[in-house]
Amino acid sequence: MQDEESLVQRAKQRDQKAFAQLYEEHFDKIYRYVALRIGDKTEAEDMTQQVFLNALKSISSFKWKGVPFAAWLFRIAHNQVVDYLRKKNKQAAAPLDESLVSSDSNPQLMAEHSLDVEQLLLATRRLTEAQRQVISLRFAGELSINQVANIMGKSQGAVKALQHSAIVALRKILLAGNNEEVQRI
Amino acid sequence: MRKSREFDNVLDECLERLLAKGGTVEQCLRSFPEHADELEPLLETALATKQASAIQPRPEFRDRARYQFYAALQERERKRSRPFFSWGWQPQWVAAVAIVLVLLLAGSGTVAAASGSMPDEPLYPVKLATEQVQLVLTPSALGKAELYAKLADKRVLEIASMAGKNKPEQIERATRRLNAYLTKIAALASTQEVTAGVVMAPAAEEAPVVEEAPVVREAPLLPERARGGKEARIKVDRRARLRATVVSYAANHPARLRALLKTVPESVKPALLQAIAVSEAGYEKALESLD
Repeated sequence: MQDEESLVQRAKQRDQKAFAQLYEEHFDKIYRYVALRIGDKTEAEDMTQQVFLNALKSISSFKWKGVPFAAWLFRIAHNQVVDYLRKKNKQAAAPLDESLVSSDSNPQLMAEHSLDVEQLLLATRRLTEAQRQVISLRFAGELSINQVANIMGKSQGAVKALQHSAIVALRKILLAGNNEEVQRI
Repeated sequence: MRKSREFDNVLDECLERLLAKGGTVEQCLRSFPEHADELEPLLETALATKQASAIQPRPEFRDRARYQFYAALQERERKRSRPFFSWGWQPQWVAAVAIVLVLLLAGSGTVAAASGSMPDEPLYPVKLATEQVQLVLTPSALGKAELYAKLADKRVLEIASMAGKNKPEQIERATRRLNAYLTKIAALASTQEVTAGVVMAPAAEEAPVVEEAPVVREAPLLPERARGGKEARIKVDRRARLRATVVSYAANHPARLRALLKTVPESVKPALLQAIAVSEAGYEKALESLD
């Protein structure tokens, strides 16, 4: 944690290498988080890029309070996602981005993996906004419960309960989807 | 309620092991046998979710995003260290005086001599200043975009020249300028002035006929609608020519720079690779805006 604090302090003092390191460490996670939240790969790319450009602009206002830098970045990403969903009003009816399921270069892996991604994207759209946020932060963002609680402004207990309900709901949605598929066959 | 909270904690503990510590579902079930029945299906779902969430950004996007971010980092540093009196951040009167000076110099032949100068030569700043003047004196967005395309071509020539002379810093500077011009082309191509011609393109004879009362007036050289249509066609033609130029540069510039990789010293290769990435991404964006 102390290492990260000194890295962030250096980035604040316009140390390019320090900011570049923070960028490399967090880029993929932010991308995955945004992609899972909005279900659109192209938009997720542009938004991820914008998250880091915004972070670069406002790093001078960042105050270290013992909270990981990732929490600050995810908050920027979260605000952009909320703005995007509000403007586009796509939350309930976003079309599934087919390219999300074809980014893997290994054809066999892709075949096994793509179905999961597709199912997950469809299933998460049927979760509540809070449940989707927990799933995106916890699984795509790989954040701890403490970090998720910080970003969402909730207690750890509340986030754990939300996490539980989200996984139960996801399971039900996925099973229902499978049953529908079996019935169609 | 208490039982539920206890299970929430157990589930989270298992998830922490699965997600962050490389644990397995079986290990978790063994640790909490009293909750195993309820835990197992949820952990399976969590594991599948974790695997499905591992979406990777496209490598080409990752490269482009990385370059743009690093360029923004450098730009921030450049703005910070830029002296008060320099191009790009000058009061308007400084620009005006500079324009007059350059115009005066043009009469002495200095500008002509500078036009072929390279970044490592003394007259190069005069060349850049002359280009700035040309830009200032070009009022239309389409004209500016055309000029930026010409300047992009010059910067690529300079990058090639500097690569041959083993001057990576000069390559980086020229690359920054190239990036700025291509960004400008993309931005200008999206302006209403440049795109308007595409919409108002119909030929005069195809223009809708509007019924109106006959008015006796002096006949213009061209009927108004025909004149409007002609102007629109000219604009469309210029836009098409600009697009053709950009298409040609998009194919040739990165290829020309890439070919140099075989012959230039190792020390300039990183800067040259960066220039190639910039030209590829920049032209792609410019063409998207021109489509």
